[in-house]
Amino acid sequence: MFPWTKKKKSASVAKDRLMIAIMSDRNNETYPFIDELKAEIIEVVKKYIGVKDIEIKKEREGDFEALSIDIQLEST
Amino acid sequence: MGIVIAVISGKGGVGKTTATANLGLGIAMNDEKVVLVDFDIGQRNLDMILGLENRVVYDMVQVMEKEANLKQALIKSKVSNNLSFLAASQTKDKTVLDSERVKDLLEELKAEFDYVILDAPAGIESGYEHTIEFADAAIIVVNPEVSSIRDADRAIGILDSKSQKVKDGQEVVKYLIINRIVASMVQSGEMLNSEDILEILNIKLLGKVPEDKGVIDASNQGKPIILNEKSVAGQAYQRIAKRICGQTVKMEDIESENKGLMTKIKGMFS
Repeated sequence: MFPWTKKKKSASVAKDRLMIAIMSDRNNETYPFIDELKAEIIEVVKKYIGVKDIEIKKEREGDFEALSIDIQLEST
Repeated sequence: MGIVIAVISGKGGVGKTTATANLGLGIAMNDEKVVLVDFDIGQRNLDMILGLENRVVYDMVQVMEKEANLKQALIKSKVSNNLSFLAASQTKDKTVLDSERVKDLLEELKAEFDYVILDAPAGIESGYEHTIEFADAAIIVVNPEVSSIRDADRAIGILDSKSQKVKDGQEVVKYLIINRIVASMVQSGEMLNSEDILEILNIKLLGKVPEDKGVIDASNQGKPIILNEKSVAGQAYQRIAKRICGQTVKMEDIESENKGLMTKIKGMFS
């Protein structure tokens, strides 16, 4: 009725917050063996080139799942 | 050969065990042979809800460890001949479960019952993983509330990655029950409505259960609310049980209120 009484309903706030939280939960999914995997990849790559850090992420888009591996090389 | 349904939730305290008891009884009342298995080892509760706590002699862990055979451990419900119950162990902890034993137990139960319904422990630990591992279908129970919905999404994620059916390239059937809906709060925008919840979780609806004070009274007495034909939650479980048995039952609108005169008048001004 009055514009100043119009407050955003908490259910729609909940929906927005959940959408974002769940999206980030799904992207942060990880495997229990991720640390070992990381260490082993570092060992392999190190044989050929210097490695500074490595980041492994599980990504999901629709039905597709992928493991994205970012290897940061040591600056020469 | 029966089918195995895991009842899961992620978060505890949303009414998972109550749902398991009522659906088990409801399906049994539809002339199907049902066994309910409490997988919440260390926190046995289903026996209380069913009113069978005094009849537990052997539990499912003792069956798995061959200390007792299945016949000795199964408890027949007092209210339905079609319903049997297998209790959780109260003394062991969740780590006693292992895949092979769970699989053997479920095979044995499937040979004898049409529906094998597993009450999963809350959380997403190993006990939960063993409950869902060999399930053909899962029923997820949520409350219209942020923490419950978020945790349910995590539980569904694990279901999708750990289920043997999924590993075999098949699909594990998933359905949602929204429990403890308060129509007036949905109407005033203070509670998430079912459409929003289904959209967030991207899942199909099995049924909606309204908040009902009678549920606590029912568990006080160990008589599942589905036995009370006048209760709104009991009626909701009746409908859900029929759907599980393959009948088409209209989705009841329990999110709109029966509007009284005052709310109608208020409605004119908003």
